[in-house]
Amino acid sequence: MDFFASYVVLAEIYVLLALSTNLLVGVVGIFSVSQAAVFGVGAYIVSDFLLTDTMGFLPATAIAIVACVVLNILTTLPSLRVAGDYFVVTSFGIQLLATAGFTNWTEGTGGANGLPGIPPAELFGFQLATTLQYLELSTIAAVLGCLCFWLVMRAPFGRLLRAIREDELAVAAAGKGVLHAKVSAAALAGAYAGVAGGLYATFMSFIDPSSFDLDASILLLSMVVLGGMRTLSGSIIGPFLLLALPQVLTLVALPTSVAAAFRQLIYGVLLIAFMLFRPQGLAGERL
Amino acid sequence: MLALQLLLNGIVTGCALGVVAVSFALVYATTKIFHVAHAGVYTLGGYVAWSLAVRGVPDPLALVLAMAVCTALGALIQHQLYGRLERRGATHLGILIASLGALAVIQNLIAAVYSANILQFPSAWASRTFGFGGLRLSAAQIATLVISLIAVAAVLWFARATILGKRIRAVASNPFLAEITRLEPRTVHVYVVAIASAVVCLPGVLVPFDLGLQPYGGITPLLTATIAMIAGGIGSLGGAFVLSVVIVVLQNLSLLVMPGEWSIGVTFFIFVIFMLFRPRGLFANA
Repeated sequence: MDFFASYVVLAEIYVLLALSTNLLVGVVGIFSVSQAAVFGVGAYIVSDFLLTDTMGFLPATAIAIVACVVLNILTTLPSLRVAGDYFVVTSFGIQLLATAGFTNWTEGTGGANGLPGIPPAELFGFQLATTLQYLELSTIAAVLGCLCFWLVMRAPFGRLLRAIREDELAVAAAGKGVLHAKVSAAALAGAYAGVAGGLYATFMSFIDPSSFDLDASILLLSMVVLGGMRTLSGSIIGPFLLLALPQVLTLVALPTSVAAAFRQLIYGVLLIAFMLFRPQGLAGERL
Repeated sequence: MLALQLLLNGIVTGCALGVVAVSFALVYATTKIFHVAHAGVYTLGGYVAWSLAVRGVPDPLALVLAMAVCTALGALIQHQLYGRLERRGATHLGILIASLGALAVIQNLIAAVYSANILQFPSAWASRTFGFGGLRLSAAQIATLVISLIAVAAVLWFARATILGKRIRAVASNPFLAEITRLEPRTVHVYVVAIASAVVCLPGVLVPFDLGLQPYGGITPLLTATIAMIAGGIGSLGGAFVLSVVIVVLQNLSLLVMPGEWSIGVTFFIFVIFMLFRPRGLFANA
């Protein structure tokens, strides 16, 4: 039961991350392989504040959200200003830079050994010690996140974002603020990553750079592609299915050294197969 | 002296990276695909050559065979993946995601078969060093320098002087016109990616002679190469090469003032500077 509950908690945290990726990649159409880096910054900020006992969970998460919003806007800024594939370079660059930072800035991040012993979250003097209590928190966060996404997609703002993906020039010609809309979308995506970072760090109580590297970004992208781009249901299906995959793979006896590579291999195959045969994903909008 | 040695190392590695940049620029200018999986082809070349070398195949032969494998892989990716996606009217983003998927598949297949540890070539000749008035170069570095320069010269000559090269440039400059004049852009695209894959195999094999092989080692060179391509001006193969050398030399010289883990930061900083002041690159064609 506990095992299943922790699977659901993790999946719900990844739902927030998938929404963040979906908003950028699916809705606005900005290619991004750096969402895991933004997620990592959120997680490390919350961990550092909690470990040094500077402040509680809520203010720490609030600061993490602000940092992630700013970082995500900076990350997507090149795609706002210049056309072409330059943003692919920035996205890869930010991700590699973040991994270098997480691994080498030992004072703040514990380096490759990570940060152990992160205290559990405390909300209004009530400590969340067990997995089931976390399940409540993460469910609330995921439901709020989904609600927010749903509302944004229904609002004129959501239509504006989708219109930008279809034809940016036409939107600009119609007198809409393309730059402003993209910055807002990037900010919202950053906020999702910040919340997810805080939840992830306190739930796992241990973080290391391997959770926030390029492979993690590819996992997020696979979740969105598998579930389906642009839709809320896609971002919920994707994480739940792909996080179950490692459990299924434990049934196949693989040596641990191969298992991680094998998992990433499957994500890669999924990306290719879905792009070839079902680009809209399991529950996405028709392209 | 240290600065001079770093400068020299930078020029050698920069030339190798220049080959990556030129091959990537060739693909990008012609197919307009941001071929991320190129990093996988680069890595695979090294591993194929390594597997042959440890089984006693002479190194030059191993290099040629690795190039053949890379050529086939490149043609396969273009023909079966990008070509199909384009025929189905996939978006640019969709092709990019598929390319990233191909990269993940190649890298992790390698990691699953060879493990993620660093592998060294068994060849004795590569580590022999030569001194030039206090500066030292290993045989592998000299081979890298010479072969890279020849390769870049060959690619530039090929694009300028041969029939196929002219056809490629025609497709690159106007795909629509190339289509109606029966230059068959789709076939040309397959040729281009195949040729670029063969070319990128050279640094893919030669650099590991010096630095060893890693399954995930292709992304950083590719990222640096793409930055060099953008800074040099998209469409200018020579510009991509020159900027690669400049960027790697700057990276190496930065070792004098900061630890090597942050050299990716230096590269990225150069990119941002270019984005701000010269977004079209130094040698951009109009």
